[in-house]
This record gives sequence, structure tokens and C-alpha cells, in this order.
Amino acid sequence: MTPHWILSLDGIGKDFVFHHQQGTRIVVFEQFSHQFYPGSATILTGPSGAGKSTLLRMIYATYRTESGSIRVRHRDDLVDIAAARPAMIYALRKHTIGYVSQFLRVVPRVSALDTVIEPLLARNMDPEQARKKGKALLERLNIPSNMWHLSATTFSGGEQQRINLARGFIAPFPILLLDEPTASLDLKNRRTVIDLIKEALADNTCVIGVFHDPADHREFAGHTIDLADMIHQEMKQPCPEKD
Amino acid sequence: MSVLQENDSLPLLEVRHLSKFFGKQLGCHDISFAVSPAEVIGVVGESGSGKSTLLDCIAGRLKSSNGAVLFNSSVGMLDLCRCDEALVRKIIRTQTGYVTQNASQGLKMHISAGGNIGEKLMANGMRNYRQIRKEALAWLAKVEIDPGRIDDLPSTFSGGMQQRLQIAANLVNAPKIMLMDEPTSGLDVSVQARLIDVLRKLVSGLNLSMILVTHDLAVARLLCHRLYVMKQGKIVESGLSDQILDDPRQPYTQLLVSSVLKP
Ligand SMILES: Nc1ncnc2c1ncn2[C@@H]1O[C@H](COP(=O)(O)OP(=O)(O)OP(=O)(O)O)[C@@H](O)[C@H]1O
Ligand SMILES: [Mg+2]
Repeated sequence: MTPHWILSLDGIGKDFVFHHQQGTRIVVFEQFSHQFYPGSATILTGPSGAGKSTLLRMIYATYRTESGSIRVRHRDDLVDIAAARPAMIYALRKHTIGYVSQFLRVVPRVSALDTVIEPLLARNMDPEQARKKGKALLERLNIPSNMWHLSATTFSGGEQQRINLARGFIAPFPILLLDEPTASLDLKNRRTVIDLIKEALADNTCVIGVFHDPADHREFAGHTIDLADMIHQEMKQPCPEKD
Repeated sequence: MSVLQENDSLPLLEVRHLSKFFGKQLGCHDISFAVSPAEVIGVVGESGSGKSTLLDCIAGRLKSSNGAVLFNSSVGMLDLCRCDEALVRKIIRTQTGYVTQNASQGLKMHISAGGNIGEKLMANGMRNYRQIRKEALAWLAKVEIDPGRIDDLPSTFSGGMQQRLQIAANLVNAPKIMLMDEPTSGLDVSVQARLIDVLRKLVSGLNLSMILVTHDLAVARLLCHRLYVMKQGKIVESGLSDQILDDPRQPYTQLLVSSVLKP
């Protein structure tokens, strides 16, 4: 028996209209559909600008979806992210969908450790226990302990990315979105991240990711969606806005 | 960002078709939105777009021309535009807070920091001097003001400290919602960061809702769950903060977002 999907995109469409640049319109997705399953890895590929990050952001609801539906299993319900109310999006982001962006958005004055454990505190975990978990993960990602209490504002790109990853992996999510998570890491840390992803998969997480290095692709027995092949390619030429 | 209700519970506050005209001049027009418990809403837009007018109508500082402000108070759902004025004043005093850009308007500059906090407690019926002082000391610590400054006048405080004192004085009575008009503008960036940090901690610890008027999109992103974009008295776009800032759709929002360095 095939397992049931956890995330289903049905006929989704996304375009960007640049009102202050002659109304240029870029169509990134049109009538795109795909299903994602628990415990499976899906790798998004395609040239720069193909829409890899856009797709992740639509699933996370950072980008609004104009047409089609993005249905996700959230606890015992099916929720359409494209039409969900704000309170539902907050709940999805707290429990169901994790997202590691390419760059950490540093909040001034918040320590690296507190940045990492925020998703646990959001789920009301005991702060002491959360800190313990956070420290263990920072250790695993080779962030020296004397940096844990500093704000990440001054951290290097690779250090910030590891803080971002720790924050993404600290709490288990049924769906995990990764946008080039290993891009600024050295070999040793890249290995750790690959291990973390494999552990999440073993825990039945549905991982959807963009990986900049083809070597990473071979690490997972997942399948690939090549966004360069999509029908939307024909539409990619900017066309004037229709009124 | 952590304590939000997951079910679609009753809103704490709901603005319905609110308009305000100053003679023929439009303040704000046909504004509708709802704020859930523990939700932080940002109102952004250029100066003169009606943000403060809207906030002042909600705070009962201006009388709206049309529309309703429904508030889920301790005595049930009330239309603050329509019910008995004495009751509205009491509800606003005890269940809402209001922080202005200019601390000298929100604070009494001729009485001490502790006095500014104590006054609010006394207005709410607290009489025991030692208890009032104890509360004031605790609140100064919460907003990161050295409790040793309790007897100093606010005029001897820096701008950032005055703002934090104003916030403490507004929170002592445990309001359900804070209305804030440009609380960070006019402050140095590092001072702003501290104020924002204090606010973030207070909001997540107190189950407090907030309506924050700001023209600073970086502040809006850090503090707000959702944003409303205003232009010429009307809401032109609304959505989750990241949707508005990362995927702006309306011409005016695109202009606003692209005019600043990556918020
Ligand atoms: N917020 C936005 N506003 C306007 N256009 C956008 C926005 N985000 C993405 N786009 C456009 O959508 C298209 C897809 O971009 P996207 O970032 O998804 O590509 P990508 O496949 O992730 O590329 P890369 O490999 O360079 O990261 C591009 O043409 C891009 O310019
Ligand atoms: Mg990308």
C-alpha cells in the first residue's frame, strides 16, 4: 500500500507583477501539481530563477498563492495553505512546517542559543530542557560554547547558517523545507547537516530541499523535480501586464 | 510570536467600517480588521496616511465619524464608539495601554519614574504605598531600567529609557491590548533594538495584543504577525508580515517596500 501524501499541490499558479516597472509580469508557476510523502526527500533542481525558492516560500505561505491549492495534513485535518486564515498559518508554522532559509534573519540582542530554541519555547517546552537540547545541537554543529550567548549579528556567514540550521532542526516538523542549507558550510559541517537530514527522514519527516551541490543529491534516495522542465518555462519571458 | 491561539477564537478587538473626517478632510476611511488575543498587528504607510488617526479612534482619543470598535472587554463585547462614555473611559483606562512617539506626552515629566507607574496603579484602586513601590521597582526591572532610578524625574532619562518607562506605566494594570504610535522613531538604532527586544519579551510573556503604528518596516517585521498598509486614509493591502514585505502586490506596497534597504 502506498502511504498517503502529507502535502499536495494542485494546479498552483504564481506570478509577480512589477507595477513600477512597466507592469512587467513574470509567471513562475502555472497549473503545477505534485504530491509529497512522509519520510521522503524531494530535491528541487533547475537553473537560477527557475522558481525553487518561490515554491518553498509558497508552501510556507511567505508568498501568496494566486490559484490552485496547497493542501497539507495538519494534525487530523487537511488545510489549504493557499486559503488558510492567519491563525492557521501561525499554527502550521509552529507544529507542521519548518523552513530553513538560505540566510539567517538575525534579531539584534537575541543570543544564538535563544534564537535556536525559540521553536521549542513556542511549543511550551520547559526552558531549561530546551536550552539543554539547543546546546547539544550547537555542539554538534561545531559552534564553540563561548559563542552561544552572543548575538549572531557578528557571526560569519557559515556560522549564521549553522545557527539557522540548528533552529530548523531543533524541533521535529512533519514537513521540512530547506533552501540551500549547505551552501556556506565546510565539509565537516556539511556532513553533519546531511546526517541531520537523514535522521529527520528516518523520523518520517517529509523533506523538500534545494541543494546547491550535486554531491548532496546523491546522499538521499529521494527523487528530483526539475523545475526547468516545467510547462511554466514557456511563460517565463516577461510579458506586459494584462488589464 | 509563540503564544497565539490556534483556534479561530473570538477576536479581542474588531474595527468595523471605521471612518474619521476632519471637516472635509479625510482622516481614515472604511477601515475594518480584527485583532486576536496575543496577536501583534502593524499599521504601516507614509506619513499623513491616517495611521495615527485610526489608532486614536480605537483608543477613544478621537471620536470616529462612522463605524464601530468592538472590544471583548471583561464585561463582554462592547462598541467603544457607542456605549456609555464613563464605562468606555474605564475600560480604556484599565484594559488598554497607549504609548506615544513623544514620551513627554505619555509621561508626567514633573513626577518621578516610580510616581508615573504608581499613579496608574492608584488610578486602578491600589492604595498600599509599600506595595505600589514594590510593583514599580519590579516593572522598572522588567523594562531594563535600573531600579535605583525610581525616584528620578523622567526628564533626566534618555529617550530610550523614557520610552521604556512609558511602556512600563502602561503595562502595570495588565491591559489586554497596547496601542503604540511610532514608539521607536526618533531613537538611535541601538536604542531602538533594545526597546524592540523589551517589547518582544513582554508581548510573548504577557499574552498581550498590540496594534503598532510604524513607518519602520524592519521594526514591523520584527514585532508584527500581520501588517496593514495604509495610503490616503484607506487600507490598500494586508497580510502576514512576511507576505507584505517579501511578496508585496499592490503598487503602493511595492513602492513602500522597495524604497528602503532590505527590511
Ligand atoms: N518576491 C519576489 N518578487 C518579485 N519577483 C520574484 C520574487 N521572488 C522571486 N521572484 C522571481 O521569480 C523567479 C523565480 O525565483 P526564485 O528565487 O524562486 O528562483 P530559484 O530557482 O530559487 O533561483 P536561485 O537558484 O538563483 O536561488 C525569478 O524570476 C525571480 O526574479
Ligand atoms: Mg533560490
